[in-house]
Amino acid sequence: MSPGLRSLLLLLALALLAPFAWHVAKALPQFGSPTAAYGATVNALGPPLRHVSNMVAAVNFDFRALDTLGEESMLFCAVTGAVVLLRGTRGEGTTQRAGLIPGRAVLARSDAQVLVCRIACTLTMLFGLYMVLHGTVTPGGGFQGGVIIASAVLLLYLAEGYGPWRRLIRSPLLDVLESLGVLLFVGAGAAPLLSGHAAMSNLMPLGHFRDLFSGGVMLVTNFAVGLAVAAGFVMLLLEFLEETRALQSDSLPDEAQR
Amino acid sequence: MSLALGVLPWLVSAWLFAVGLYGIVRSRHYVHLIACLAVCQSATYVLLLSIGFRWHAGPPIFYDHPPGSAAVDPVMQALVLTDIVVGAAVSALLLAIALQVHKRRGSVDPQSLRPLRPNR
Repeated sequence: MSPGLRSLLLLLALALLAPFAWHVAKALPQFGSPTAAYGATVNALGPPLRHVSNMVAAVNFDFRALDTLGEESMLFCAVTGAVVLLRGTRGEGTTQRAGLIPGRAVLARSDAQVLVCRIACTLTMLFGLYMVLHGTVTPGGGFQGGVIIASAVLLLYLAEGYGPWRRLIRSPLLDVLESLGVLLFVGAGAAPLLSGHAAMSNLMPLGHFRDLFSGGVMLVTNFAVGLAVAAGFVMLLLEFLEETRALQSDSLPDEAQR
Repeated sequence: MSLALGVLPWLVSAWLFAVGLYGIVRSRHYVHLIACLAVCQSATYVLLLSIGFRWHAGPPIFYDHPPGSAAVDPVMQALVLTDIVVGAAVSALLLAIALQVHKRRGSVDPQSLRPLRPNR
């Protein structure tokens, strides 16, 4: 399909959708004065009912935890799909040697890079753990903290190089951690069913307001999300880095003769 | 002034979405297409955060200011938060697909690829 035809189809579709879009745009609330009652209710009831100060975490990990379960399954499926696609043609075998592009020189890492990345990695990892653990109290939580931990692992790669990095970061361990995160979330949601309560109900002791241990089951679900996100993103990093290896080896046998 | 400021967030969101959509439609490279999809997604972040915004209100985190004081809508922030993380994972999935397409067909131009051709 030529770009001109594609643009024409887009214009047609936009012309069809424009009246509906305009109808929705007119119904938008005035900027700065939201009309949604749900958010206001959460802000009013969250601190007394759940003893947490971070309402975003309360929405994610308690009030709408079922939706977060869906989000986490989406994340899990996306990571699994990417890993299956990348491993599918490459095979299960792994190597600890970095890929080499013929004719391109391998540059040694400078001492400054190693030093800066080692320091930055430690600090970033600590910050990520802090983010995950204080999810119910201050800004942060499992989603943000998990991504920060994954970026700390990438800094570790910059500091140590491919071989030592691969000896530290094991693929099967990541598989287990990722699945454990999702299982923990599902378990925390399903456990109340055993005692005859609704799924995802918060039965654990709620702790004290503005305390690290506040929010009951939110602590578990927050940690589960942090685990799944961190392991999932590190797994993606590892699989895309493994992909550099394919340059060295043969291309696909069934497609090569085309 | 206040009227212009009241319309600006919706305009920014619409502009981001339009730019991303135009990029997707005119794309000649799958990696470029995935980046344009990310631009479209950021339009939804701006839209959601603008819907939840409240003038003269703090964040929905009652650590520094007491519960009951004015705060913006936490539901929208939760939506944006999960959207960003899941969006990043989905981008990785799409990039993996683009990589496979490049390996199998030797091209990442949507125009030169016939989507429904059987793979022999």
